[in-house]
Amino acid sequence: MASTVAVPVAPTVSDPERCEGEEELRGLEAEEESNQHTGPVAAPSQNRLAKLPLSRIKALMKADPDVSLASQESVFIIAKATELFVEMIAKDALVYAHQGKRKTLQRKDLDNAIETVDEFAFLEGKFPSKHPSSLNLYHI
Amino acid sequence: MAERPEDLNLPNAVITRIIKEALPDGVNVSKEARRAISQAASVFVLYATSCANNFAMKAKRKTLNATDVMSAMEEMEFERFLQPLRESLEAYKKGQKGKKEASEQKRKDAKEKKNDVEENDKSREEEEEEEERMDEDQEAENEVEEEEVEN
Repeated sequence: MASTVAVPVAPTVSDPERCEGEEELRGLEAEEESNQHTGPVAAPSQNRLAKLPLSRIKALMKADPDVSLASQESVFIIAKATELFVEMIAKDALVYAHQGKRKTLQRKDLDNAIETVDEFAFLEGKFPSKHPSSLNLYHI
Repeated sequence: MAERPEDLNLPNAVITRIIKEALPDGVNVSKEARRAISQAASVFVLYATSCANNFAMKAKRKTLNATDVMSAMEEMEFERFLQPLRESLEAYKKGQKGKKEASEQKRKDAKEKKNDVEENDKSREEEEEEEERMDEDQEAENEVEEEEVEN
């Protein structure tokens, strides 16, 4: 029996960003399956699976002018992938912290990881340092 | 452009939590490092989206779907993500299905309840239901007016 049934009326999530996310998500989705009843019902099952708020992910996706619509699933998958990415980059950076005999991850450990790990090549030159003028958007 | 994509950051608390869960106990993360990771995550979303969108456009679709994202991951050399993503997607789909069934069940219950209450005036009741459904549909329609139905 599915135990992940949505609770009626009161939202069960404590994170306000997710609540807002849920509504925004419904507002802009291309629901391929069917019309979802869009009442004030929260979606705890969905939120449990993604730590990052889907609304924010979606907003980022829509910043791309070439993107018209994104399915709910795709937003979820990107959210999940981003989570995996954060885990990965943190772990890779930790290697450099250890090399420096430190227990605290620092910015330079991130920089090192980005330089050495192939998958992070897309991040090179993207970060503003303390001076915003050094942000290089056109690097890649 | 008024708002740069880089300005859209993911919530710090969540990023911090993900980092902490990925690292062993006793490891700290400086504020600067955390911020950099958060920014990197935003860039990741943008890059993945752009990549996925290319696949959608190639297939002449206007709606980005999960498969496009999977293809993007491969393209970006994040094949290691594919298996966990597939599993998560399955779980997510099941969750969605449960939600849909639950809301459909609720609709049915509400309808039956109405039947009990207004036993006499059946035609009027039918009208109301129609209206209710139309309202809901209208609501749903309004919310999805940006949509494009595939096929």
